[in-house]
Amino acid sequence: MTGRFRVLALLLTAAVLQATLFDEVRIDGVSVECLLLVSVLAGFHGGPERGATVAFLAGLLHDSVGSTPLGVHALVYAPMAAMAGHLSVRLADGARALAVTGLAVAVMVGVAAAAGVGALFGLHPAGGVDLATTAVIAALSTVVVAAPTSRVVRWAVTGGLPIDISLTEGSAADGSSGR
Amino acid sequence: MAAPRPTGVPRPTLLILIAAALTLLTLQYRGVEPLGAFQRGVRDVIEPLRTATDRVVSPARSAWNGLMDYDDLRAENERLADELARMRGRRLSAEANEELLERLLGEVDIGFADLETVVVRILGTPPGNFTTHTIEVDKGSDDGLAEGMPVVTGGGLVGRLESVDRARSVVRLATHPEFRVGVRLVGSQDEGLARGGGRTGFLVIDAGVRADAIVEAGEVVVTSGGRSRFPADIPVGRVLDPDGGSDFQREIVVEPSASLENLSFLNVLLVAEERTFDPSVLLDPGERSG
Repeated sequence: MTGRFRVLALLLTAAVLQATLFDEVRIDGVSVECLLLVSVLAGFHGGPERGATVAFLAGLLHDSVGSTPLGVHALVYAPMAAMAGHLSVRLADGARALAVTGLAVAVMVGVAAAAGVGALFGLHPAGGVDLATTAVIAALSTVVVAAPTSRVVRWAVTGGLPIDISLTEGSAADGSSGR
Repeated sequence: MAAPRPTGVPRPTLLILIAAALTLLTLQYRGVEPLGAFQRGVRDVIEPLRTATDRVVSPARSAWNGLMDYDDLRAENERLADELARMRGRRLSAEANEELLERLLGEVDIGFADLETVVVRILGTPPGNFTTHTIEVDKGSDDGLAEGMPVVTGGGLVGRLESVDRARSVVRLATHPEFRVGVRLVGSQDEGLARGGGRTGFLVIDAGVRADAIVEAGEVVVTSGGRSRFPADIPVGRVLDPDGGSDFQREIVVEPSASLENLSFLNVLLVAEERTFDPSVLLDPGERSG
């Protein structure tokens, strides 16, 4: 299976899970942000550029499945993935707690940013305390499903291969760092 | 050893993607139809997967809902039992009233409105944490539904169809801040425009009603019909706050008659999206044929 098909399969699966299982299994009315999770992890494993592209497509899917204007989530997810990609290369191997915290913060920021962009374009998402509560619950519930999702996203965006292959330094793939 | 920088230069890609997203948003804001069709197409493509996955995860979903909403379900069960008892009591008087109504309608030669409806089941809220005041239902264009059709229950107006796919639709509830409906106050016969009150759960009539109009709390509010997409005389609710002391812009608060919580099934009225005024209806039959 080529890389593009892997990514397509990943995104379709995430969209279906977002619209079915995670849509029903809600805590206080808040669901897991599956496509945002995939976006952030795509940046984390695939680097800023590849991550941003995958995240853009994930955002378009979210907008289509969730009946929001096309571009609201894509506008938010792509920068989130790029940011995750940049931060991931600065994280030391084994800094799992830091990575999990970063993921939770990324989900909170992503939920709040999507609401902000939606409000700019005339939508009426939750605001104030409701939005803060939604962001926190979404972040915590999303972190719970992050571990298995992370493996699948890594397989999809890297195919198990390292992101960077240095031809000049002689050794391959220090940059893949086993994440 | 510090991790190396990822390959490529990320900025141009990110900027292009952001520009693309902004372009899409702007185009959709301007109502460019192919984008809506694209979204409907995506939803239609994944619809079989959603349906199949729905069936697979149904037991887990039921278990989760039972776990999380046990208290709510018990309270709801008690409320329904109370309501059933009250409804049984009212049935006799309702039958008598119905007979009286039919007799009166026959005397004044008015045909009783008999609109065709489609019963839809509520699936829940649309996916994600973004949409508020909308719900998803299990029928779509394959069942004759179209955007803009009114959605009601026995209690009254619930909302209208916002988007319609082949097998699912999204209902914009009457409490949505962007919801608008022409209404008539039954007591005073004043007409105005009501909008959804958002988080308050009420509707607000903030246009059309005169500042000096006499409006009583508890007065019944129905749809006004006319050129509205909603047929006339659908119950909307009762006046909660007539805002009688207002000097400038009056905001009459209306409590919806249809409970928008704990709904399971709804009726979609199969009426045209927008009805236009036909002056010939004012003419006598003889004049029309002439």
